[in-house]
Amino acid sequence: MSLVIPSLFIIIITAAVAKKVNVFSSFCAGAEEGLKFTLSLLPILAAVFMMCQLLEVSGIADALARALSPVMNALGVPEELAKLALIKPFSGSGSLSLLTEVLEQYGADSYPARCACTIYASSETVFYVFALYFAGTNKKERALPLAIVLLSTALSTVLSCLLCRIL
Amino acid sequence: MNAIFSAIFIASALILCIAGPNAFLPALLNGAKEAAITCLTLFCIYSLWMGLSHVASDAGINDAVARLLRPACYKFFRTKSALGAQYAAMNVTCNVLGLGGAATPFGVKAMKAFDGEGNIFGRNLLFIINATSVQIVPSTVIALRASYQSAAPADIFAPALLTTAICTGMAVILYFLSDKLCRSLSRRSS
Repeated sequence: MSLVIPSLFIIIITAAVAKKVNVFSSFCAGAEEGLKFTLSLLPILAAVFMMCQLLEVSGIADALARALSPVMNALGVPEELAKLALIKPFSGSGSLSLLTEVLEQYGADSYPARCACTIYASSETVFYVFALYFAGTNKKERALPLAIVLLSTALSTVLSCLLCRIL
Repeated sequence: MNAIFSAIFIASALILCIAGPNAFLPALLNGAKEAAITCLTLFCIYSLWMGLSHVASDAGINDAVARLLRPACYKFFRTKSALGAQYAAMNVTCNVLGLGGAATPFGVKAMKAFDGEGNIFGRNLLFIINATSVQIVPSTVIALRASYQSAAPADIFAPALLTTAICTGMAVILYFLSDKLCRSLSRRSS
């Protein structure tokens, strides 16, 4: 796997040199596009991250996790992981720090830790992807795909724990 | 998003007025700081991949890769835009290879292209695929488990892959079905 990226560079740059492309200026032009794109994202990310911080600090995230933990328990999700499952759609770095906490507390090969890893690996930071992908597009009909994705994320949490028990 | 954003801001501000008004401003500033740091990290990823992809497209490689996948993308995303189909093809390819960082810029460009031609179906479908995690090898988690002395760090590979496959598949099917339902409903009413 670790050879994929270096060989990608070798192939692409060799092909470009063979076609007499000015590799340096072409690369810079691409990087400039990257800069413009990142700058256009900054305001959106600032707003979304402020919202996530407020959720954490005000205790709403904790309260939601506590309220949902009986439901989660009934579905076979260990109690400790309710918060991880809730934070994951909002914040990648927040859920990563929760994941390391679980790994530290229970040991990497314990059942809760394996569940936590699977939950983390098989879901996305949905609201971040949502903000990123829909930035600057028409506002029509965004709610339905978001609802479907959230449903699928909830299913992936339950399924992760179930599969960790079987496999 | 508008409703969620406003509701969360008002509710948290109200709670913090009682629980600890001093925490309000630092929380907001922290969020903005995190956004700035994330943007910097994103720029590192994008300058790298968009730079390389610019070189690749000048060398004609992008066209060759996309030509292979484009016919499928035209059909799947119901698009007529050649550029949109190409970006979507690159996005899906990068995702399957586990190059999540490289996939995002292509994905966003494809979203814009689909949106520009009024193809809401393709736009939403592409979002669903990207937001349900199409990663094949969860390299971050495996590395993390190894650093916590796991006996079998790649142990979660099978359950994670199965979960991802089932959930992404379910979301795509669900969207297809709901799209069909919407169409038949609107046909009946008109």
